[in-house]
Amino acid sequence: MNKLLPTQEIGSLAKPQWRTKGYRGKMLSREEIAEAVNWGGKLGIKNLEELVKLLSEGDSANRKRVVLEWSAKYALRFLETAGLDIVFDGEQFRSEMYKHIIRKIAGFKFLGYVRSFDYRYFNKAACIDKPKYTRSIYLDEFMFTKENAEREIKVPFTGAYTLVEWTFNEHYEKKLSGKIKDFGKGKFKAKREFLFDLIKEVIRPEISKLVDAGAKWIQIDEPAATTNPTVEEMDLFVESFNETVKGYNCTFSLHNCYSHYEVLARYACELRNCSQLSLEFANRDSILAGTGDTRTGYKEIKLFEENGFHGNYGLGVVDVHTNFVEPPELVRDRILHAVKIVGDPGRIYVSTDCGLRTRTWEISFRKLKNMVSGAELARRVLK
Amino acid sequence: MIYCYVTGMLPRPRGLIEKTRVYERSGINGKELEESFAKYTDMVIKAQFSAGLNYITDGMLRWQDLLRPFTENLNGITVGSLTRWFNNNTFYRKPIITNSVKPEKKLVKNITYLDKLPKNLLWKAILPAPYTFVFLSENRYYKDEAEFMFKFAEIINEEIKSLEEAGFSYVQLSDPALVYELLAPNFREDKLSLVKDVLGIAVKGTSVKVCLQTFFGDFARILPEALDFPVDHLGIDLYETDFEKLKEYPFEKGVALGIVDSRSSLVEKPNELVTVAKEIIESIYHSNMREVFICPNCDLDFLPWQRAKQKMNVLSGVTKRLGEDFP
Repeated sequence: MNKLLPTQEIGSLAKPQWRTKGYRGKMLSREEIAEAVNWGGKLGIKNLEELVKLLSEGDSANRKRVVLEWSAKYALRFLETAGLDIVFDGEQFRSEMYKHIIRKIAGFKFLGYVRSFDYRYFNKAACIDKPKYTRSIYLDEFMFTKENAEREIKVPFTGAYTLVEWTFNEHYEKKLSGKIKDFGKGKFKAKREFLFDLIKEVIRPEISKLVDAGAKWIQIDEPAATTNPTVEEMDLFVESFNETVKGYNCTFSLHNCYSHYEVLARYACELRNCSQLSLEFANRDSILAGTGDTRTGYKEIKLFEENGFHGNYGLGVVDVHTNFVEPPELVRDRILHAVKIVGDPGRIYVSTDCGLRTRTWEISFRKLKNMVSGAELARRVLK
Repeated sequence: MIYCYVTGMLPRPRGLIEKTRVYERSGINGKELEESFAKYTDMVIKAQFSAGLNYITDGMLRWQDLLRPFTENLNGITVGSLTRWFNNNTFYRKPIITNSVKPEKKLVKNITYLDKLPKNLLWKAILPAPYTFVFLSENRYYKDEAEFMFKFAEIINEEIKSLEEAGFSYVQLSDPALVYELLAPNFREDKLSLVKDVLGIAVKGTSVKVCLQTFFGDFARILPEALDFPVDHLGIDLYETDFEKLKEYPFEKGVALGIVDSRSSLVEKPNELVTVAKEIIESIYHSNMREVFICPNCDLDFLPWQRAKQKMNVLSGVTKRLGEDFP
C-alpha cells in the first residue's frame, strides 16, 4: 500500500444480538430490531426494510445464511466508516476462531469443556483420524467480503500450529503408542505428524482455494505460537508457518498476541514470506501521552529489530480488553515511538492489538475512529 | 508397595460447569453455586474410591488455580493479571506481593470438604510448593526471592500442621516451576540448596508423608540434589523426563510416577504403562525398593471429566498389576 501508516483491523468484531439470535432462529425483541435499524442508519446501509422483514420472520435455512450476509455487510461498513484502510467482515461468518474451522474438517470430535481460567471454559476437540478436507472453510466468507468491500481486504486464517496446540492428539499418539519408549519424544513426534498432515490435507487446500478466488493477503493467526517456548517447539512453529505459506502468489502476515515476544523475536526473521508481524503492544503500555520511556509496552520492538526482523509491523495501538478509548494523541505517540525504534515509517501498519469481539460496537467504533485520527496526526508529524 | 492417587485439581463435571456459567451471568446466587460444588464434590470423591485409588482428595473443584486460595486470602497479596499457566492454554491470576504476607486463618482446611471425605480411607491434600509460589508471583515487598520463599514456607508449614490435625495423612507440594526449563534455564546447586532449606522449613515438626510433585519439566534437571530434599517422596512427570537419566541415580526415597498423561485425551493401555513403570522401578532402586505411587503427570483438570474418570481407572489398573510384581 502506498499510503503512509495504513490502518487495519485484526479480525473479529462483536456479533450484534440480531445476528446471534437471528442466526439461531430465535425471535428478536423490538429493541434488538431497533438496534439493527439504528446502526444501519449510522452506517448508511441500504434496504433496511428487507433486514427488518427478515428478522421478523420465522426460522429457515435461508434466513441463517442471509442473516450472516447482512451482519458481514454491517461489519464491513462499520470498519470502513471508522476509516480503516484494510478491512474484513469482522469474522461475522464464524462462530469463533477454533470451533469454526475444526467443525468443518473431518477427523475431529469435540470431547467437552475444559477450563481456560476461573469459570471460563472451552470445548476442546480431539483429532481422532487423519484430518481430511471436506468443504471450504473461509471461501464463502471471502467471496462475500470481496464482493462487498470498498477497501483492501485481508483474510484472517487460524494457523495450523494453534489448531494443533489447542486440540487433543489421539489419532497420532495412538499410532505411535508403544513404539517410542520415551513418552515425551513420542508425543512430540505425534504432534509433528499431526501438524504437517493438517497443513497438507486441510490448510494448504483452503489457502489454494482462497488464492485462486483472488485473495491477495492472508493473515495467519497463531496466538499459540510461543506457548511452548523451547527451541524444539519454536523451530516446529517456524517450520509449520513456512510450510503453510510456501509457493503462493499471495501476501502473508502473522498475528500473535498475549505471548512471549522475547521468544518470538528470536525466530521472526526465520519466517519466510511473512510481510508483517501484527502484534499486541497497547495492552502492555501506559496510557500516558508521550514517546520515550513512557512507552513501556513497545520495548520489545527493539528485540525484533536486534534479531534482524526487517518486515513490517502491524503495530497494536488500541487495547481490545478495556473500554478506555485511546485519545488520538496517545495513538499518535505510540506510532511515533515505534517509528523512532524502527527508523522507517513505511514499515508501520496501525492496528488494534487483536480482534475487538469482546467490546461493544459503540466502544469499538470510538476506538477505531480515534485510531484513524491518531494515525493522521502521526502522518502530519512525519511529513 | 505400590499405591495410586491423583496429583492435582480434578475437572469440573459438565453439570457443575453449567452452574458456574449461570452464576457468572448472575443467573443463580452464591448459595446455589455452593450447593452445586458440594454435590459434585461428592461425585468426584466417589469416583476416586470407586476407581480404587488409595489416597482420596476432595477434587479441589472450588480452586480457581493452584495458587488462588493463597492469592486471595493471605494478607499482603493482591490478585494480579491473568497469566499463562506454564505451557498450557490455561491461565492463573498472578499474586502481587505488596506487604508482609500473613494468614488470618488456616486456608486449605477451610476450603476443603472435610465432611465429605470418607472416614475409612486415607486423605491427601495438595498445596503449592514455596519455590513455585514465589516464582509465579510478582514480589514488590521482600528484598529477594529467598526471603519471600522462607516466609511462604512458614505459612505452608502451618497449613500442613492444620491438615494433619484435621485427619490428612498425605500432603503433596506441587512444584512445577522447579523443573520447568524456561523459568530456570541456569538452575544449579546454590538454588537447589536454597530449595532444600526452604522445604526443611515447610515440613518441620510434621509427621504426615510429604511428596514434592514436579511436572511440566524434566525431573533429571534437579538430580542428584533432589535426592536429599527433606521430603518422603519425589514426584516425576514421565512425559517430560528423560528416563535414561533417571536410571543413573540410586533412589532412597519413594517416588510418585506421573505415568498417566493428563494433557492427552488418549486413554493409555495399562499393559504398556506397566512395562515402563517396571523398568523404571527396577532401575532406580538398586537395593531396597521404597514406596511407589502411580499417578497422573499433573492435574487431570486439563481433561473433560469423563476422560479424567477413565484415566483414574487406568491408574488403579496399573497399580494392581504392578502390585503382583512388587508385593
